Amino acid sequence: MVAYLVAVGIIALIYMLLTIGLNLQYGYTGLINFGVVAFFAIGAYASALLTLAGWPLPPAFVVAMVLAGVFAYPIGLLSLRLSDDYLAVVTLGFSEVVRLVIQQEKWLTHGVQGLPGIPRLFQSLGVGEYADLATLGALALCNAAAVVLMLHLVRSPYGRLIKAIRDDEVAVEAIGKDPRRYKVQVFMLGAGLAGLAGAFYAHFITYLSPDQFLPLVTFYVWIAMIIGGTGRTTGAVAGSLILMLFLEGSRFARDWVPGVSEVQMASVRLALVGLALILFTLYRPQGIMGRRS
Amino acid sequence: MTLVDFINLLINGTVEGLLIALPALALTLVMGLARFPNAATGDYMTLAAYAGIGAQSLAGGALVAGGIGAVAAGAAVSVAFYLWVFRALRGRPPVANLVASIGIAFFARSLLTLFAGQDQQTYAVPLVRAWNFDGIRLLPTDLYVAGIALLAMALLFALLHLTPIGRQMRAIADNPDLARACGIRSGRVLIALWAVVGVLCALGGMMFGIKAVVMPEMGWELLIPAFAAMILGGIGSPAGAVVGGVLLGVASELSVPFVGPSYKIAVAFALLLIVLLVRPRGLFGKALVAR
Repeated sequence: MVAYLVAVGIIALIYMLLTIGLNLQYGYTGLINFGVVAFFAIGAYASALLTLAGWPLPPAFVVAMVLAGVFAYPIGLLSLRLSDDYLAVVTLGFSEVVRLVIQQEKWLTHGVQGLPGIPRLFQSLGVGEYADLATLGALALCNAAAVVLMLHLVRSPYGRLIKAIRDDEVAVEAIGKDPRRYKVQVFMLGAGLAGLAGAFYAHFITYLSPDQFLPLVTFYVWIAMIIGGTGRTTGAVAGSLILMLFLEGSRFARDWVPGVSEVQMASVRLALVGLALILFTLYRPQGIMGRRS
Repeated sequence: MTLVDFINLLINGTVEGLLIALPALALTLVMGLARFPNAATGDYMTLAAYAGIGAQSLAGGALVAGGIGAVAAGAAVSVAFYLWVFRALRGRPPVANLVASIGIAFFARSLLTLFAGQDQQTYAVPLVRAWNFDGIRLLPTDLYVAGIALLAMALLFALLHLTPIGRQMRAIADNPDLARACGIRSGRVLIALWAVVGVLCALGGMMFGIKAVVMPEMGWELLIPAFAAMILGGIGSPAGAVVGGVLLGVASELSVPFVGPSYKIAVAFALLLIVLLVRPRGLFGKALVAR
């Protein structure tokens, strides 16, 4: 039971990192990133491949973060020239292309067969619960650091500026600031957080394959952000915990409703995710934690 | 690549492109009138394609019955989601509509897989041999689906340019405030719009289903190519969507000898990026609409 709770906690904290990153991009700065999973995948594969090639874990984690940020750079540049909804389509397309490349380039990623035997984090502590507990602790530290960083960031002049970009870009330009630099920075920072989440994921699951990186992951993160309330770091924290309660809770729901197969349950879960997106947009756009503006 | 190979790829690409043009038209109409990219377009296609297969088997195998079933289901689904969701979201930013349309895409697809399962389905069509002209192969089925697509487009253009409701649609696309000031009741026009969108998606889904197989993911996977076709042709321009679709189809088919068949989506995406960077208003778009 403890092992199960620790595992759920780890996944929840991985989603929390992703949600904090997206919230920085969309919630504070207004950049629509429908390709969260792409940067998550880049981080996961980068770290997994490096450690399989014999690298120690810490530098692999750093490379995962940096590489995800680097891939975000051209997309961030694109965002300067595109209006919101175009950026959404471009990032969604980017994430599908990343998945396609992972699927096709077998020499690097083993394609659909997947990448097994990725070293565990804290393997020296033994295979059992201690390694997982240590992973949970490390993730909690990273999340705490990310939350503190965000809370400081949004109260700083930098935070006021990015929120101003979200609310009125022309006004920002009029006071002599260049919104473009900040948008690219924010995009890369959020992607770096997703890359870090990916590295944690790779070294916890220890097996990667392209179908772990469907666009669905992106929209799980969107749901977590929307439920919590966009533009609130505490919302991102609460939202990802609620998401995990729902995803795990739906596993147990099968015990009460007999005769539902796992495949059908997956359909029901996806339907509820879709329904939540629809209903929150319709009736509670400010999320659970947000104030009605 | 010999000339014969080239011509074969050209033919395949044109047929594929005409089919892509159907969802691209649906996207561009919604973009022009309701002003958001409708991410549920692909899943309307999937739903209608399944409904068509259901109707065909109910009617004892008549393909026409399948067509009627698909079109009716497509229009009904599209109008229903408008009445439930998009009507309430009018006046909200495009992002809200876009997120809701993603929700609709997931919701519709998962209801489908809950009841119809994850398996592939096929339309019962007579198996015919391709005509062979000195190596240039022409599949009668391809001619048939391309013909239907062309007919649908002709009807759409007739609707847009020859009927009062079409004129009202174009008026709203051009200037919503002016259209309202002239007494156009946009509620009714939008219901008609969503019905047309549903029909276009249904025909697209069914034709793709006849050409290959029907799977739960098929529409979603056509979404990026359809977006690329729309943007290539210029957003809000129906003629542009058709030309963009054909160009995209030919380009991705011609790329197959070089990058392999699995990278078709990547080719569509690359084309999308190039157009957005070099000529963001597309081939036929107005400079004002696209950014």
